[in-house]
Amino acid sequence: MTKEDVKGAAEEEQAQSKKALKKQQKEAEKQAKKAEKQAKMATEQQATDEDDFAKDRYGVSAMVQSQERLGRTLIRVQDLTPEKANQLVWVRARMHTIRAKGKQCFLVLRQQQFNVQALVAVGDRASKQMVKFAANITKESIVDVEAVVQTVEQKIETCTQHDVELHVERIFVISQADARLPLQLEDAVRPDVGVEEEGRATVNQDTRLDNRVIDLRTTTSQAIFRLQSGVCQLFRDTLLQKGFVEIQTPKIISAASEGGANVFTVSYFKTSAYLAQSPQLYKQMCICADFDKVFCIGPGKGRHPLQHHAPPTCGFWELSHFAGRHLLGRLPSCTIRELCIAQVTVHRSSWPDSLESVQEDGGLERPSAVFRAEDSNTHRHLTEFVGLDIEMAFNYHYHEVLDSITDTMVEIFKGLMDRFQTEIQTVCKQYHSEPFKFLEPTLRLEYQEGVAMLRAAGVEMGDEEDLSTPNEKLLGRLVKEKYDTDFYVLDKYPLEVRPFYTMPDPHNPKYSNSYDMFMRGEEILSGAQRVHDAQLLTERASHHGIDLEKIKAYIDSFRYGAPPHAGGGIGLERVTMLYLGLHNIRQTSMFPRDPKRLTP
Amino acid sequence: MIGNLLGKLQLLAYIHAQMEENPEPQDHSVSDTMPMYQLKPICGSDIKIDLPACMYKLPNIHAQQGSGCAEHALQVIPYRTVTALRKQLTMLYVTVASNLSLHLSDERKSLTGEQSQCYVRAALGGFHPTLLSLINSQNGDVDPALKALEARQDEILRKLYDLKAAVDGLAKTVTTPDADLDATTLPQSPTGSPFTGTADLDALLGKDVGALRDIVVNANPANPPFSLLVLHGLLCRRYRVLSSVYVHSSVTSVPPQLLSCLGQPPADSYTRDRFQLGFTLIWKDVPTLQMKFSTPSMCPIEGEANVARFLFRLLGAEPRDPVAATRADCWVDVGIQLAEGSAKERAGAVRALNGALSCSPWLLGSELSLADIVCACSLLWAGQADAAPANVKRWLQACRNLGHFDCVYTLLQ
Repeated sequence: MTKEDVKGAAEEEQAQSKKALKKQQKEAEKQAKKAEKQAKMATEQQATDEDDFAKDRYGVSAMVQSQERLGRTLIRVQDLTPEKANQLVWVRARMHTIRAKGKQCFLVLRQQQFNVQALVAVGDRASKQMVKFAANITKESIVDVEAVVQTVEQKIETCTQHDVELHVERIFVISQADARLPLQLEDAVRPDVGVEEEGRATVNQDTRLDNRVIDLRTTTSQAIFRLQSGVCQLFRDTLLQKGFVEIQTPKIISAASEGGANVFTVSYFKTSAYLAQSPQLYKQMCICADFDKVFCIGPGKGRHPLQHHAPPTCGFWELSHFAGRHLLGRLPSCTIRELCIAQVTVHRSSWPDSLESVQEDGGLERPSAVFRAEDSNTHRHLTEFVGLDIEMAFNYHYHEVLDSITDTMVEIFKGLMDRFQTEIQTVCKQYHSEPFKFLEPTLRLEYQEGVAMLRAAGVEMGDEEDLSTPNEKLLGRLVKEKYDTDFYVLDKYPLEVRPFYTMPDPHNPKYSNSYDMFMRGEEILSGAQRVHDAQLLTERASHHGIDLEKIKAYIDSFRYGAPPHAGGGIGLERVTMLYLGLHNIRQTSMFPRDPKRLTP
Repeated sequence: MIGNLLGKLQLLAYIHAQMEENPEPQDHSVSDTMPMYQLKPICGSDIKIDLPACMYKLPNIHAQQGSGCAEHALQVIPYRTVTALRKQLTMLYVTVASNLSLHLSDERKSLTGEQSQCYVRAALGGFHPTLLSLINSQNGDVDPALKALEARQDEILRKLYDLKAAVDGLAKTVTTPDADLDATTLPQSPTGSPFTGTADLDALLGKDVGALRDIVVNANPANPPFSLLVLHGLLCRRYRVLSSVYVHSSVTSVPPQLLSCLGQPPADSYTRDRFQLGFTLIWKDVPTLQMKFSTPSMCPIEGEANVARFLFRLLGAEPRDPVAATRADCWVDVGIQLAEGSAKERAGAVRALNGALSCSPWLLGSELSLADIVCACSLLWAGQADAAPANVKRWLQACRNLGHFDCVYTLLQ
């Protein structure tokens, strides 16, 4: 080593030791400071502990293990109105937001769709420690609050109960929430419009669906699902009043042979069984069993995603499932044979938009083509949904049934309009949309009129061509412009695009006695007069190239005197979504199932 | 005339230029000693020209082969035609030159032939230089086809001038006010017996596309349109009308008589395509009455009187005579005043009615017309029927006796 090097090394060592020294010094300082702080805090604590006169008016309660039955009445937040001014009430709610400011702490307490502002202020009832405690309660914790209801001169815009405020006297935490929440509720309720300008966040759908428990607590979700419950209830009430009988149909059905391309299989003792996708067969059997008017509310299944792909070559209109049989419309016989072997059942309402576009090009060689996992995520399809199905026998004309169904729908809309206005307004705050309009009695247009309207608007289509999704939406807009209604029926569809069990029109063989109902331009119901004559059914099935052996049991059920009947079914989630003007069906399904989602 | 020829010249010049530009050596077996050119097709032969259907179609005046230069430009020009064309080109140039010189000489009789030639050369200065030389070399000897074409053109021009003169003459006779003509004594053409005139629904409402033509009327239940109900009744007598009444969701409840104001629906109203016309009345919360028919092509019509005019036209009983039509319109406006005007205006309108009805049984003469319907309905709506003067009362009773107004009277009760 040269002298310089040695010198350098020495210098380095010196430098190092200097650095080390410095470090040590710093650490020592830190420690000293910390000790000082702690000492200070301890003294402060002691001081404050002595001054806390409100010690028994706040705190974390012991876990409620049903220790004693208190006769305390808790007031609902929605009942906190100026009428209760100056009363001392107990309220159990969640901590929505907390804002501490010196000697005061503002809380917003939330209960389902309603929230109210509460104030903890240092005074003769509350101490500084109590205010501090309130400020440190984690969000979403459930608290019991005893407070005096006070009216406010200036309306509190951010709360639903905007003319009162709670002045807290006692506050106890019943169930504490984790400090870190996966999503913030204010973000979840924020409307999407104008987000970029304000720079505030919203929560994207996947996060919501993964943490559904918290997401469902938002005022909007509460409103949506209460409205959905209302739809179901109104459906049931209206039909029961009309003399319908509610039935429950089996969902586990047998298979005639092995296979299983597009259905959901379940292992059933020593064999496998399949999950029914629609209650069609059983509804019809009930009519043949003289129940006259039946309805059922229950889960329906959508398609099952497949691995095998092939380009589609022929178009579907509707496939309905029967116990162990497959009734398919408009497929070449080879495909049907394949499907029969594969026990394919698909419900029309659960098709992705990709299929619609595929229909433009051609058809279906093997139905599996549609079910590519990556393409099946659409805004209006679920693999599992709640179906509300109706079937009714009629006397002379299927319009008796059609009028019945449209009456029911109108009653549902009216009921929602009358009794669920709060919910509708709450949803509108986050997802703005036009209020739903309808005519009474329901507007009924014929398919030819719809085609004429589309042609006048510049769309080219054949007389017997099926309506594609964009055409349906355009027709919805045209009808809205002319008649100002969001709900209408399109009657007399062309025979070619309907399933084989649809009754043909007696006067014009090209058309059928079938109908579709639309809400805001999207289809919600597909129904028809069913063929109730075994002979005609056989003819129609052969015309469609369906193997008669597979549907023998179905045809047999009409051999013993079947009344003329018709019906249709709607999807609960879709009706709610379209009534509120939402854009994604997952918003109206509590725990949605689609090809990519199985939990929660 | 000259312009036409010049245009043709330019076209041929262009073709000639094309020929010069794209020479392609060809087999020399062709009889002509000039080097072979294969003209590349300027445009493909399979061009489908989609002529617009809304334009006028004149018969092609260049129908003859050989002189149709416009046609030639769009065809693949085979070689033989090329030579023929070249010949014609030169001929044409010569013709033009000679014509020009002729015309020029016509106008400037003082010019000598040579001077005119100079003018011609100057005028043709933009043309192909080789052909210019032809002007001097070749004279006279014009292609007979071209001559015939020229003659036809002259003929056409002469006819045009004659027509123009005739039209001018007519214009003069029409626009100059005839001192002897007295408009007030123009015979009042009868409006025709009511409601049996032929109105072509297709002409009025657009082509029948095989679907029900539905007229949608949005009315406020607080303000039922009586005149439209009367007109609906009249329409039903003339056409097969599918009438339906709806209640919009913006209105909570409607009295039952308004729901049945269009009468009982016919038994087969479920077969929409068997009807000629649809009349849909929607009770809705609208500020003014509104009618929609064909939303892409028609804007909505607002106001009861305007919709009444539209519906009346469908009955085909509108007076053709402009004077009577104007009087009818005036009375319709009086009707509006009766319904919506202030008390003073209403009183004035009633007085006007009284005055008019003193000389004739109906407002416009001897037949019921739109004016009568609108005025009667306005009067009934305003509740002034009992306080009306004698003539008006008599007239109202006459309206009632006709039977068209029964629907209105049932609503008034």
